[in-house]
Amino acid sequence: MNALRLTSLNDDRPERTVIKVGNVKVGEDFAVIAGPCSVESEEQTVQTAHKVKAAGANMFRGGAFKPRTSPYDFQGLGLQGLKILEKAKQETGLPIVTEVTDPRDVSWVSEYADVLQIGTRNMQNYSLLKEVGKLGKPVLLKRGMNSTLKEWLNCAEYILAGGNPNVILCERGIRTFETYTRNTLDLSIVPSVKELSHLPIVVDPSHGTGRLSLIEPMSLAAMAAGADGIMVEVHYHPNEAVCDKDQAMPPHMFGDLMKKLQVLGSCMNGMN
Amino acid sequence: MSLEEIRKKIDSLDSQILLLLKIRMEQVLIAKKFKTEIEDNMREKEVFDKIRENANGLIDAGFLEKIYKEIIRESKRIQQNDFELIAFQGEHGAYGEKASREWDRDLVSFPCSTFVDVFEGVKSGLYEYGIVPVENTLGGSVAQVNQLLIDTDFHVVGAVELPVHHCLLALPGTDHREIRSVYSHPQALSQCRQFLKRNKLEPVKYSDTAGAAKMLTEKRLKRTAVIASRLCARLYNLEIIKENVEDLDKNMTRFLVLSRSEDKEDGDKCSIVFTTEHKAGALFSVLQAFAKKNINLTRIESIPNEPGNYAFFLDFEGSNKNDNVVEALKAVKMITTSFRLMGCYKERRVQ
Repeated sequence: MNALRLTSLNDDRPERTVIKVGNVKVGEDFAVIAGPCSVESEEQTVQTAHKVKAAGANMFRGGAFKPRTSPYDFQGLGLQGLKILEKAKQETGLPIVTEVTDPRDVSWVSEYADVLQIGTRNMQNYSLLKEVGKLGKPVLLKRGMNSTLKEWLNCAEYILAGGNPNVILCERGIRTFETYTRNTLDLSIVPSVKELSHLPIVVDPSHGTGRLSLIEPMSLAAMAAGADGIMVEVHYHPNEAVCDKDQAMPPHMFGDLMKKLQVLGSCMNGMN
Repeated sequence: MSLEEIRKKIDSLDSQILLLLKIRMEQVLIAKKFKTEIEDNMREKEVFDKIRENANGLIDAGFLEKIYKEIIRESKRIQQNDFELIAFQGEHGAYGEKASREWDRDLVSFPCSTFVDVFEGVKSGLYEYGIVPVENTLGGSVAQVNQLLIDTDFHVVGAVELPVHHCLLALPGTDHREIRSVYSHPQALSQCRQFLKRNKLEPVKYSDTAGAAKMLTEKRLKRTAVIASRLCARLYNLEIIKENVEDLDKNMTRFLVLSRSEDKEDGDKCSIVFTTEHKAGALFSVLQAFAKKNINLTRIESIPNEPGNYAFFLDFEGSNKNDNVVEALKAVKMITTSFRLMGCYKERRVQ
């Protein structure tokens, strides 16, 4: 791993990266990033933000630019969506995590977002990586669905080499022969990242499994595996969700999950 | 060209028609100051003759007459009301207009192209009030206004502290990624320097913020945006690309409301202007007079008056009916070469 000059955990860089987002120290505190897959309307977004905040989330997610499998699927509200996210932030104080898909949008998205997300399909979009490398803002780099750990860390290296040290990795499931789940959530990657890199890593069990019933057990497992946080899709009315409704968690289930995470968190603190 | 594009053009034309109507009605209000009677049949005939001459093609003379009958009827109604006018510098949508509305919504705000026009209009009685900026957090003292204030005998009847939040505005339907140039007043551009730099936007100086918005909607420049108030978005049918684009969120402008007549109501703030003798400790002894009476000073400004001489503006908390203020002012009068209490008024702090 000679190419990973900046991303590796080694004698030159023995301490772990801690990234401050609002009041959350990612890498030290357990980050809970929750919110809808897409920003659909002001009401849906702001209401969901209030609900996830009440349940204990410390960051809010929502997509304004959506890379979708089909060009005929909902593509997101764009700039309008960013304005709605800003409103949600004003009302709840939660920092905003949102995806950027186009290098031309990077400066604009960072006007609104606290964390810029690079989605799984764009993990190896090198011109996009170079563009976010010029920012000072944290970047959440999702793992490509067909990517190895080494490929993933090389992509993080692009951002670090560009001058932006604030990279949060996010495991979101990979392609395997299994079809019961949408992807196979690769939790072994969490301690693997911790062995090789100083960067924090969070886990997205919503995309990782694509099944509502599996989100809670995999969230708990992610915490147990040493993840620095989770990213969960929550929708105030999951049946009305415009995209990925099968994996959208209703707020009450998310509340239950948060309670269990707290118990597990204090239990794990006792072990250390 | 698509139907959507045509409709956007129509919306823009409507906003211009509305604005022109508003400006016409404002001129009607001013005209009243020169008229003894509201009815003027000669003038009405003149107006109708002119519009008939202009009727051609699509625009039918009968249609124009119908519209103008309504406009003239409304003009008369407006002249019959006793509206009070407050003049501000800039086009409609300028921050001065926003401040005037914060001070008193019932007044009709009236645009003037320069500060001198505001002062002269108030002096000649065209406008009941004038509202002018005296200082800004980032830009400092507004020298031209302070200079004009030395030589007037207007009364300060109010003050407004207005948080200045700039918006990036563009023609509806503009792709934000294609914006290259941003027009605005140099002061506003400098308050948003970091934002412009981050997004690789080229600043272009323009005479005022609202004027830039007006220009954009009229000229329909491509790949262009302006920095102006939120109010301008509505007035000039522009789309808000981004709110709060200023680099510092604590950007305030303080405005004074001026009038020929004194404020009868009790105030909690006073403004004075004075000059002192050219000797050691002259200014100090004035300040001391306030300190002795435990009066909190909120602004002190020195403006070059004659070569080597300065006029001092001083604002302080309290009413000119308070005993300590009366005594302090009495003491100050004794030790200054010229002195004027500009006014005792209420200050409005906008959140």
